[in-house]
Amino acid sequence: MNKQPQLTRSKLPISGQIVMFFIRHIQHAMASLGELWRNPISSLMTMAVLGVSLSLPAALQVLVKNAETITQSWNSAAEISLFVDEGRSEKSIQSLIARLKVYPEVAEVNYINRDQALEEFQRLSGFGEALSYLDVNPLPAVVMVTPSLKYSSATGARELLRKLEQEAEVSFGRLDIEWLERLQAVVRLLERTVLAIAALLVLAVVLVIGNTIRLAIMNRRTEIEVMKLVGATEAFIRRPFLYTGIWFGIIGGILAWVIINLLVWYLDSALAELLGLYGSQLHMESLTLTELGQLVLLASFLGWLGSYLSVRQHLRAIEPS
Amino acid sequence: MIRFEQVSKVYTGGQKALSDVSFHLKRGEMAFLTGHSGAGKSTLLKLITVIERANGGKVSINGHDIAKLRRAQVPYLRRDIGMIFQNHHLLMEKSVFDNVALPLIIEGFSHGEIRKRVAGALDMVGLYGKERHHPIMLSGGEQQRVGIARAIVNKPPLLLADEPTGNLDPKLSMDILRLFETFNDSGTTVLIATHDLGLIARMKYRTLTLKQGRVLGAQELDQSDSLGAY
Repeated sequence: MNKQPQLTRSKLPISGQIVMFFIRHIQHAMASLGELWRNPISSLMTMAVLGVSLSLPAALQVLVKNAETITQSWNSAAEISLFVDEGRSEKSIQSLIARLKVYPEVAEVNYINRDQALEEFQRLSGFGEALSYLDVNPLPAVVMVTPSLKYSSATGARELLRKLEQEAEVSFGRLDIEWLERLQAVVRLLERTVLAIAALLVLAVVLVIGNTIRLAIMNRRTEIEVMKLVGATEAFIRRPFLYTGIWFGIIGGILAWVIINLLVWYLDSALAELLGLYGSQLHMESLTLTELGQLVLLASFLGWLGSYLSVRQHLRAIEPS
Repeated sequence: MIRFEQVSKVYTGGQKALSDVSFHLKRGEMAFLTGHSGAGKSTLLKLITVIERANGGKVSINGHDIAKLRRAQVPYLRRDIGMIFQNHHLLMEKSVFDNVALPLIIEGFSHGEIRKRVAGALDMVGLYGKERHHPIMLSGGEQQRVGIARAIVNKPPLLLADEPTGNLDPKLSMDILRLFETFNDSGTTVLIATHDLGLIARMKYRTLTLKQGRVLGAQELDQSDSLGAY
């Protein structure tokens, strides 16, 4: 009696243990789902709360995503206008254009010579008649440079502009992107707001699930006591509650996705009308299948987390007496 | 199987439940534990099942020093102990089958094996064919026997019973005790806590008597000594 024999963890062979481990997990998962099915009213209420809570951050995500697509289409419109020094010959301008074209940062080069510039100005400015009284064409030749995709951002384009201004033939360049920068700042602010709100709602989801699981533990107090008495490990007792949490998360996530789709469908016609007035054909995008997967994955993780925190705190407190 | 060496237990609040208790229950032995309510019977059983831990002395169960047992190991020790309670501790919303199968499910037996063993255990306690019943549909004696079936279904080497005949008439009580004798015959160590002295008197087993937290008499008490001391 002096030596301490090892307490055997299981009387089954190791292969049987491994197989039973997976079978138990599947059984527990299914049993938890069945448990939810048997109490549809209270389960549905919890899931609805989770669905609504999750749909808000997801809806904001959709909003940001759509804002990004719109600003991106404006982004690529960033063009650099290079005004050529007066008195440069057509030949030197052509050589400038040839040089610009080999820049890796440059996607496209358009040349507007002085005559074209004047013509365009006459057409668009409304000073058409007055201009014809001028003896000489006062407008410089312009080379329009479209940066490649990599350099189309505000900072990238600015950097490219500085580089292009070094060219001898270029008098100065213009990059009209201040409004774009402001817009991007607004979008960034929006994104950060979304992140903060999302964090709060995620916390709410964890708390709701934690509380639901706490109630479930209280309801099954006697059962937990008996299980502990007949030798159930903490992990064994914990598992059904964790699966319940995960199911809550999964179903809540899917519910959020449904809500988002309804929301997008409801808003899209109004938005299409608005954008139509601006001559745009953009449609509101909903969540993609990957994003649905991410949403459900995140939701199930939150479900697990909420129930884990709850279970860790409350299961210990229940001991047979 | 169960060895107590100068064990004492004081509950938080200063209530002294056991002091200087020493005894040894050998493997394959069957014994009664008796004494008035409040004499420390329940505390002694709680120390064996590690629901409580001793403040002093040494408790060894099946060769394991309880003091050295980590919290995570307790479930595995409990799997070696079949426990029977006065109020059965049955799960009323589950079927008889599910109640009896619980220890096997916890240990991870396959479904076929569980079915076989549950049928065997129910047969042994005379409840064969009542798997689908719910405990609420059974009589008090039958409920007690469901509890016994659950305690023996995984064939533990040690069986503990806390007032197993508490609510039963003498004839049923005797039936239950005969059942314990059968388990003991097949090598199971059995300890039965009871205050039913009439029952003890009719059986020829060793008796441990507790009075105010102490064991009365010598280590190897025989029946007449213990009754005399009581």
